[in-house]
Amino acid sequence: MTQTRGNRAALVSIVLILVGIPTSILGYQYWLRPALAEHRVIDIATRVPENGGFSPDLVRAEVGETITLRFAVDDVAHGIAIGPGLDIDLGQIDPGHVGEITLTLDTPGIYTYYCNTWCSPSHWRMRGILEVVDPNASGSADAPSDPIIEALIAASVDIDAEPQLSEGILPDRSHGEQSFETVEVPPNLLDPTWRLSHTPAEGLVALRAKNPGSGDDVLTDVTAYLWSEPTPTIEIKELFAKNCAACHGERGAGDGPAATSTIETPVAFADVAWFRRGDIWYAKIRRGGMGTDMPNFGTLFTVEEARLLVDYLWYLSFK
Amino acid sequence: MTENPKRPVVARRATLLLVVLAILLVPIPALHTTGSRDIVIDASQYEYSPSRLNINRGDTVNVTLAASDVVHGFYLDGYEIDARIEPGISQQFTFTADRSGKFRYRCSVACGPLHPFMIGELVVGPNEPVLRASVLAVVAVAAILLGARKRRSA
Amino acid sequence: MRQSPTDGGRLDVLGRMPRLRRVVLSRAFQPVLMLLLLAPFALAVVAGLLGTSAGNRNFGIVFVWIVWWAVLMVLLVPGLGRVWCTVCPIPAPGEWIQRRGIIGGVAKLRTLGLRWPRRLRNMWVQNAGFLMLALFSTIILTRPSVSAAVIVGLTGTAVGMSLLFEKRTFCKYVCPIGGFIGLYSMVAPIELRVRDAQVCVDHRSKDCITGNENGYGCPWMIYPGKLDRNLDCGFCTECLKTCTMDNVVINLRRPGTDLGKPVSAKRIDEAFKALIMLACSIIYPAVLFGPWATVKEWAGIESFGGWLIYAAAFLTATLVFMPGLFWLAVSRGQKRSCSGLTIRQAFNEYAHALIPLGLASWIAFSVGFALTNGSYALAAISDPLGWGWNLFGTREAGWTPYLSGTAPAIQAAILLGGLIFSVRTSLRIGFRHDPSGTTTMQATAPVAAFLLACTLILLRLYLG
Repeated sequence: MTQTRGNRAALVSIVLILVGIPTSILGYQYWLRPALAEHRVIDIATRVPENGGFSPDLVRAEVGETITLRFAVDDVAHGIAIGPGLDIDLGQIDPGHVGEITLTLDTPGIYTYYCNTWCSPSHWRMRGILEVVDPNASGSADAPSDPIIEALIAASVDIDAEPQLSEGILPDRSHGEQSFETVEVPPNLLDPTWRLSHTPAEGLVALRAKNPGSGDDVLTDVTAYLWSEPTPTIEIKELFAKNCAACHGERGAGDGPAATSTIETPVAFADVAWFRRGDIWYAKIRRGGMGTDMPNFGTLFTVEEARLLVDYLWYLSFK
Repeated sequence: MTENPKRPVVARRATLLLVVLAILLVPIPALHTTGSRDIVIDASQYEYSPSRLNINRGDTVNVTLAASDVVHGFYLDGYEIDARIEPGISQQFTFTADRSGKFRYRCSVACGPLHPFMIGELVVGPNEPVLRASVLAVVAVAAILLGARKRRSA
Repeated sequence: MRQSPTDGGRLDVLGRMPRLRRVVLSRAFQPVLMLLLLAPFALAVVAGLLGTSAGNRNFGIVFVWIVWWAVLMVLLVPGLGRVWCTVCPIPAPGEWIQRRGIIGGVAKLRTLGLRWPRRLRNMWVQNAGFLMLALFSTIILTRPSVSAAVIVGLTGTAVGMSLLFEKRTFCKYVCPIGGFIGLYSMVAPIELRVRDAQVCVDHRSKDCITGNENGYGCPWMIYPGKLDRNLDCGFCTECLKTCTMDNVVINLRRPGTDLGKPVSAKRIDEAFKALIMLACSIIYPAVLFGPWATVKEWAGIESFGGWLIYAAAFLTATLVFMPGLFWLAVSRGQKRSCSGLTIRQAFNEYAHALIPLGLASWIAFSVGFALTNGSYALAAISDPLGWGWNLFGTREAGWTPYLSGTAPAIQAAILLGGLIFSVRTSLRIGFRHDPSGTTTMQATAPVAAFLLACTLILLRLYLG
């Protein structure tokens, strides 16, 4: 390099630019930023499952530790949520954006961070495990078993049996609501636990026994009203829209945009509801359908959310 | 003496200006009745279907938007309608096509590499802008060529 | 060819702005500007290689293919001619290595000094390079890593060529961007010329070619004394510094003065450049802004077989169909003309009439693209790699198309302006060959019809 003052200054500038820019970018991102962060930061690359899904897909933390999770999305919009029971939903993160959440978990257990916006044919596989351990406790706790599912297994009920179609039966729950006062309802039909393990068809049989004079159409409507009585909340409607509608359709008619890509066609709830037990729906939601491409949501939703979803399925079936 | 050669030039220029103004401003009558249209637009990587829509000026359009593979957006040029469509959750909106011309609808949520080119076309007819511009182009070329002939002819 | 300061109404810009003149004449002028541009250039490459693969949130895509491209096509080339070549950072490392210095260096360039092969001393390599970029442009414009690789590849080629070949051989004969910048710079209202050609004839030492202590001999390997059009000059300002006779000036002049000058019958490469650019300016809005998703997927190499079909159609359109149609138009015109030109000569001459419409078409395309997607720049300066940074607080600036309702009208106006300019240029060419004007209109009408047809197709693409 010809030695002049101008050239020296220019050379320094070049080195600053060509070496300084990459170094400062990488240095800031991988050294300075984590060093200045108050808590442990975990960067999670977020892509469709075909291109790696969440990576890492396993995060370990200690009870009471504050961590920051940063989801960097690259390909399509993903909805990031963490469950069960944490009420954490980062909303949709668009490509080129980073969704960040700082959390402190006080209860040990296995949590799941998952995508709740349809993003690919393998969308339901897009999950990662957030394992929160108590360093003082010995051994790892087993996932608590679900009493409802246990009861079904104990009674040898085949959760995956082909559902019976309720052909021709079209109950109207609003008529049922109007006629509700005029019929005599046996007390067990008013008990949600009984309704959970019995089909509406069985409910109709019980109603017929108590109301020999009433017509079947009135009693059918009242049965429908009984089974779908609670009005769904906005939260449950959104939960269904985000997690279920892509396959099962906005109104549960089995016509969602992803319905053609699953191994078995997603069921239209109204078609099978009449001969359906609520606890079987509950079991399918929590542990998935075996090999049908119905995902298991047990690690994503709380027990309460799953039960409210079952109520919502009745609501969609008998509108 | 010097005035005479200038007059034809001024007259020609004035005629040309009038013709241009006429092309730009003369209203084109609408030979159709306006009505209401119901349209379903489905978004997927990287197209809308239908990708080209023809409607009449003055029509009221009820649009249902759906996405079939990933989250897409829908932005309609000139109307500032911007929606975000999630698979499984359809949306509806209504607008009145009060201007004629071509208005592109574009994806407004990054949906993959070809996202900036995910475009459909809404043509509100009769398409006055393209007619006017095309006629102007023809007239301009004719005027220039004829002007050249006049300029050099003995 | 004699020129005088008042020839064709030229204005010596630097003569009227002595402070600017001092800046331009300093040896640090070009290198400092190149250094300044090296910073965003390096950022674009780093962002492209390391940053998010979402193109709209990556500095490497947003500031190269939206901001830089729009500024280049809409402002720099039509307004200031080849000024991008003045400051372009791509040849900078190679040139500085040759000169062993950034602001001045050794007198004799350190390079193998090979001369570019005679058969390639034309625009064909640039034509081929541009077509290659065009065939892959759908993925270059949308994938940051591919874009960065192209930029690095061009820079590497420039550096390599600087070590092997003399001076700016890369810029003059290889750079695909320089190819069209040179062609379209002939429209610009600015030029670098000698004040009085007779001074050059009488001047013995010809410092503009040999160089002296004030600067290097012309790196673009031309003789400024004979320079009469913008295409050949890279606007590097070395001759301004070296000329001891104060005979080199930068003039303001009427736009398009270079068009319609005589062109050698051999330079069919320039005619093809004009035709390729015009054809591409029609294909790009059709493929990228049109509603035909299958063609887009083929262009985006979603399936290799589809891309092959697309590439074949693209090359046929640009190298066979468009030139063939234009040849027909020219030969039809020449049949009725008494100009005495061969059809090949007329083809080369009238091809220059395509330049204003071609440039206007590219401006219309770039304006559309910039207005629609320019808002991405706001977020990109705060989060250049899409890593969640927020340097200036504008990370969450969303996408907002500007003037989405009026953009088509603006594009139509630009196209019409280009059409008028082109038709008038073709007439100028016609009158030069036939001053009596008896057959000028018949000779020019088919060319005008060709231009009109292109414009109508473009109007249909943008507005219809």
